[in-house]
Amino acid sequence: MRAPAGLISAVVAIVIWQAATTIWPLANSSVPTATATLARLWEMLFMSETWASIWLTVQMALLGFLIALAIAIPFGVLIGLSRFALISTKFTFDFFKVIPPIVIIPITILVFGPTQQMGVFLVVFALVFALAIQTAYGVRDTDPVLIETMKCYGLGRTRQVLYARLPAAAPFIAVGIRISVSAAMIVAVVAGLVGGAPGLGRDLLLSQTSGENAQTFAIVLILGILGLAISRLVVLIQRRVIFWSPS
Amino acid sequence: MTTAIAINHVSMEYKTPKATTHVLENVSYEVQDGHFVSIVGPSGVGKTTLIRLLTGLAKPTAGEILIRGKRIEDAPEGLAVVLQDYTRSLMPWLTVEKNIALPLRNQPLNKAERKQRITESLVEVGLEGSESKYPWQLSGGMQQRVSIARALAVRPNLLVMDEPFASVDAQTRFDLEDLVLKVRDDFGITTLMVTHDIDEAVYLSDEIVVLYGKPAAVRDIVKIDIPFPRSQMTTRNDHRFADLRTHVYGMVRGLE
Repeated sequence: MRAPAGLISAVVAIVIWQAATTIWPLANSSVPTATATLARLWEMLFMSETWASIWLTVQMALLGFLIALAIAIPFGVLIGLSRFALISTKFTFDFFKVIPPIVIIPITILVFGPTQQMGVFLVVFALVFALAIQTAYGVRDTDPVLIETMKCYGLGRTRQVLYARLPAAAPFIAVGIRISVSAAMIVAVVAGLVGGAPGLGRDLLLSQTSGENAQTFAIVLILGILGLAISRLVVLIQRRVIFWSPS
Repeated sequence: MTTAIAINHVSMEYKTPKATTHVLENVSYEVQDGHFVSIVGPSGVGKTTLIRLLTGLAKPTAGEILIRGKRIEDAPEGLAVVLQDYTRSLMPWLTVEKNIALPLRNQPLNKAERKQRITESLVEVGLEGSESKYPWQLSGGMQQRVSIARALAVRPNLLVMDEPFASVDAQTRFDLEDLVLKVRDDFGITTLMVTHDIDEAVYLSDEIVVLYGKPAAVRDIVKIDIPFPRSQMTTRNDHRFADLRTHVYGMVRGLE
């Protein structure tokens, strides 16, 4: 039932958009009509440049996400193992977590230039602290009864982490991942839009400055669809991996 | 008979910056090899503290506990535990088989031997064929059977249970009690159980240790001279059973 409901609301939104741009209040403004935008989108789907840009952006987001995950999980586990480490790192991590990646773009451009590496770095920076904190909390949250049971049976630290703490942290990490993948896409686009890294973000900037409004809107649509598809995919994967936990 | 566990003049204090809680005071007791011993006492008397000391999770502030003559260091060898909260002590992300297999990783077994241990343990608790199920697919009583199977799989010579049947319904509780008696018969495992259920303690035990007071000390050691095998139908009707439970109850409530 949800898919048709979603489809209906999408159609309604498009109809309102079309009416607003042809009749009132945005008729003859710089906002393109729905039909013009969709037509441009259709054309773009057959252009290799579009797919190259999509891939560049997704690549930045994905690479940054994976690197952030590879750093954050081991680090988060280490922090989560000790109450002292968790308390003492929390302030610093929360500090970095709230810095919007966009403010460090000037610095990253100095180091990397307007490149894909710059975008990847920004994504890593945007995600790694929140993911590490999330992992640490999950590890900390492991049921003490479970850990004590393992201790009684003489199972050491490594096994406690592998068989108890990491799986117990999985639902926490999953929440972090769900938020992170959306953030990764946003940052990958911003890296192009503001920092000039190649991909959809830069395309957006270029088509806007050259006054190709239909194309600008079409790119926004692509980003929306892409974001939706990715978050659906993540939820689907998580249900399979963390099968024992509700939601 | 030899001594399985020797608790020698054990005292236990918990220190917090504000206060010191004196939980156990000069507790001494010896568990004979092969015996089933229950520890009873009013709630909050320090039964669980004693379990923590026995399993090596905590160290006494004074005195010592010897298991077969060896002072407890970390996890005592040959010890298995069954805790009250099976939902918290079994891992929901592992199948029944893998839950049981986990403690076996500390033993020099090959894959086939491990597999056989698991199957035998599951047969013993009446859960044959449940290897590939997940704990949350089983009822509470069955989950506690898995905990018992996990304990049996390590071939322990000492089984420590902390209120093992407190979270299951009354009929399941009777079934599990009889299961534990059968296990004791089959393997001759020395068993130490903490419980707040006095009837259960009398029904299962060779001896009951009554803890009482703040800090808690051994108030009495009650020999349960009801012959084995015991039965839920007849033993609980025995006048000796009634006498003993009344006696223990009186001491736990501080009436005797």
